[in-house]
Amino acid sequence: MSMLKEDDLSSDSELLSKLFVDILDSIIVDVASESHRIARLGLDCNLDNEEEELRLSAEARARASDPSNSGEANGKYVVDIFGQTHPPIANEIFECMNCGRAIMAGRFAPHLEKCMGKGRKARLKSTRSTTSARNRYSRGSPLSTPSPCSNSRGRLLNGSSGIAGDEYRNSTLEEP
Amino acid sequence: MSRRHSVNRPPTPDVRDDDEDDRPKEPTLLEIVNIKLIESGEKERLMELVRERLVECGWKDEMRALCRAFIKKNGRENVTVDDLVRAITPKGRASIPDSVKAELLQKIRTFLVSVAH
Repeated sequence: MSMLKEDDLSSDSELLSKLFVDILDSIIVDVASESHRIARLGLDCNLDNEEEELRLSAEARARASDPSNSGEANGKYVVDIFGQTHPPIANEIFECMNCGRAIMAGRFAPHLEKCMGKGRKARLKSTRSTTSARNRYSRGSPLSTPSPCSNSRGRLLNGSSGIAGDEYRNSTLEEP
Repeated sequence: MSRRHSVNRPPTPDVRDDDEDDRPKEPTLLEIVNIKLIESGEKERLMELVRERLVECGWKDEMRALCRAFIKKNGRENVTVDDLVRAITPKGRASIPDSVKAELLQKIRTFLVSVAH
């Protein structure tokens, strides 16, 4: 198309700006049309009730922060949005599967600590009664306890040598 | 009941069997390029790109807010699309970010170059 090369500069920039404006105007019409549709269909509901809504939300916020209402501290319990109250410590009682006692749910974790030997005091308490059984079965574990009477050697050498000595002493069948 | 149509369109031009004006209808350069732009799909791509950019920079939200203000002022039922277009076009054209403008001009220029050769 040679005619394009003849008066390139002026008609080109004119062309450019016309096309640019054309595209922009189409997009503006799109936005206007979309807003028009939403307005006429009533989809943008808070047009007229904007002030109404502002007032309602302010009222709701005031009601929520009102201390005399059943909010955070109504006597002892917290009231949730369904109107239910929950005591601060869960008080359902069930049977512990380890020791068989009746335990309160909110106190279950501390009870398990003592009951299953995770805590310090519990560990010492249990190893005093079952020394050899503990040593044999807890050989790789970091929690393996130093047993006071029969294996004073094993106290520092928690690894193989202490246990190996144990093997020789306790079970002659296991000689390598 | 003469009710304002919410979208005013000029009536469809009648089909003319013979050219009474004796004017040969030659397409202008603008028309040719426009047709090429549309047929190649480039115009649609450009519009999608510009729409996306204008949403990103918040321009569309500003325009929607202007429309809402206009509608609130003049009443929901009385507003036509043309009213809205007339209301937001000057502000709309002026508030296009320069980066978007430059990008669109660049792409149109590229297209014109590709068409001319």
